[in-house]
Amino acid sequence: MSAAPTALTEFVATVPDRIWLALLVLAFGLVAAFVVGVINRRLLTRAGVPEVIEGTAFERTAREFDTSTVHILAKLSSYFIIAVAIIVALTVADIQYLEQFWAEVAAFLPQLFVAVLVLIVGVVIGDKAELLVAERLRGVKLPELGVLPPLVKYSVVYVAALIALGQIGVQTLALVVLLAAYAFAVVLFAALATKDLVASAAAGVFLLLQQPYVIGDEVRVAGERGVVQEVDLFVTRIESDGEEHVVPNHSVFRDGIVLIRD
Amino acid sequence: MASLTDHLSDLVEDADAVLLFSPTSSFYGRFEDGDTDIIVVAPDNDIDAETFVELPLPFDNVKDRIRFGIEGAIDADLVSEGDEVACIASVFDGGSDAVIRVTVDETIHTGIYDLFVNSRAEPSVIRDVFEVAIELGQKGQKGKPVGALFVVGDAGKVMNKSRSLSYNPFEKSHVHVGDPIVNVMLKEFSRLDGAFIISDSGKIVSAYRYLEPGAEGVDIPKGLGARHMAGGAITQDTNATAIVLSESDGLVRAFKAGKLVLEIDPEEY
Repeated sequence: MSAAPTALTEFVATVPDRIWLALLVLAFGLVAAFVVGVINRRLLTRAGVPEVIEGTAFERTAREFDTSTVHILAKLSSYFIIAVAIIVALTVADIQYLEQFWAEVAAFLPQLFVAVLVLIVGVVIGDKAELLVAERLRGVKLPELGVLPPLVKYSVVYVAALIALGQIGVQTLALVVLLAAYAFAVVLFAALATKDLVASAAAGVFLLLQQPYVIGDEVRVAGERGVVQEVDLFVTRIESDGEEHVVPNHSVFRDGIVLIRD
Repeated sequence: MASLTDHLSDLVEDADAVLLFSPTSSFYGRFEDGDTDIIVVAPDNDIDAETFVELPLPFDNVKDRIRFGIEGAIDADLVSEGDEVACIASVFDGGSDAVIRVTVDETIHTGIYDLFVNSRAEPSVIRDVFEVAIELGQKGQKGKPVGALFVVGDAGKVMNKSRSLSYNPFEKSHVHVGDPIVNVMLKEFSRLDGAFIISDSGKIVSAYRYLEPGAEGVDIPKGLGARHMAGGAITQDTNATAIVLSESDGLVRAFKAGKLVLEIDPEEY
């Protein structure tokens, strides 16, 4: 009857204190990981993340494996905490071998965690951006525009991958240069393509605020005479004898306006 | 029971096309493999049907809905005159509960489709104005029935064929029909005399306009008042569409090219 407790006491006495401490840390880590995982999942769900990322490729892939992006993110934080707990436990237990290795892993782990997080968030945002652009372009049935959505997606993913790689300390200078060249090309192209549009919009703001002419006035702008039918941000529509002239606002502004009164 | 089934098969026998009104995607899927042409008529093409006619208003009157669908189908060369079409629509709330056989001929051509799609103004603008007029007809102004006249599209010409009765409350403002706040404003201003003038893109150009069109040869039904006459006449003189809410009988009527095109009872919406 008294043999069992004695054996237990002996067993407790033989195992060093720090091992118990390590086990305690480990247990605490497991509980914390579980709690953080659950809280994370609830927070993400409450923030409406599942609705926002509904239909993205990443989410669909996740669903195929019977999970979801929110679950993956929550699991990720759990695994991170478990890994940290294991390392702390090992340190507390004072297991000598591979100490150097573990120290480096401990320093590297948060970086890896952030990198994976950035990558997942980047892929999801990329997918979402692709969906949004594709939806916007759906009304315009032009096959050439089909390249745009993937382009947007991969730009976002590329930036996310860059950040992730930078996070875990990989040399990314060449990739950054590539990104800069790409961004420069996009900006230059956009500036060239939208030069007139931007000028028209600036003139359009003036026309809409000041209203030098209103719908129904007879005017002559940019060499066309007629009745104003519509003024919007970019163009003025002038109609005369069944001809409707669509005059860009920047040329209205540049050439001046003649109001015809009689 | 056999005769009932016979009658149904008579109804759909050698139909040249089938018009599905707002079908669910599973309902549409059941038709997809058949050999007759399927034309989907719905507010949105959310089931990705190949041949699709957009329905700008959920016409409560099934006749109007079918006319609109068939006219849209004619316009898109999906059916032609002389064709027999079977329409599957929902008459009461809920699923598709009726099969209606229609012969496509000129009597079907009332111009409802034309009113929305081929007007100068955008279809969504005409729809928004209709919705304001219908809502105004339902509720009235502080419970009392109210009349209103909206002239949509070709605003430049309409402005030159009308004069101002008073200060224009919409001067220097950039408001468009369809914004909820604007609908409230339009309702408030509907107690004013005169017409609202709305541009092709939906901008409210003016209120308080007295229309001065030439009313010769305007053919509108007898018994309608001065408001309808003015609305009908301005559409003959210009390319505008007039949407009139009658104060006396509470109906919303649309005129185009001097003719009455559509009549809607707001109470049915």
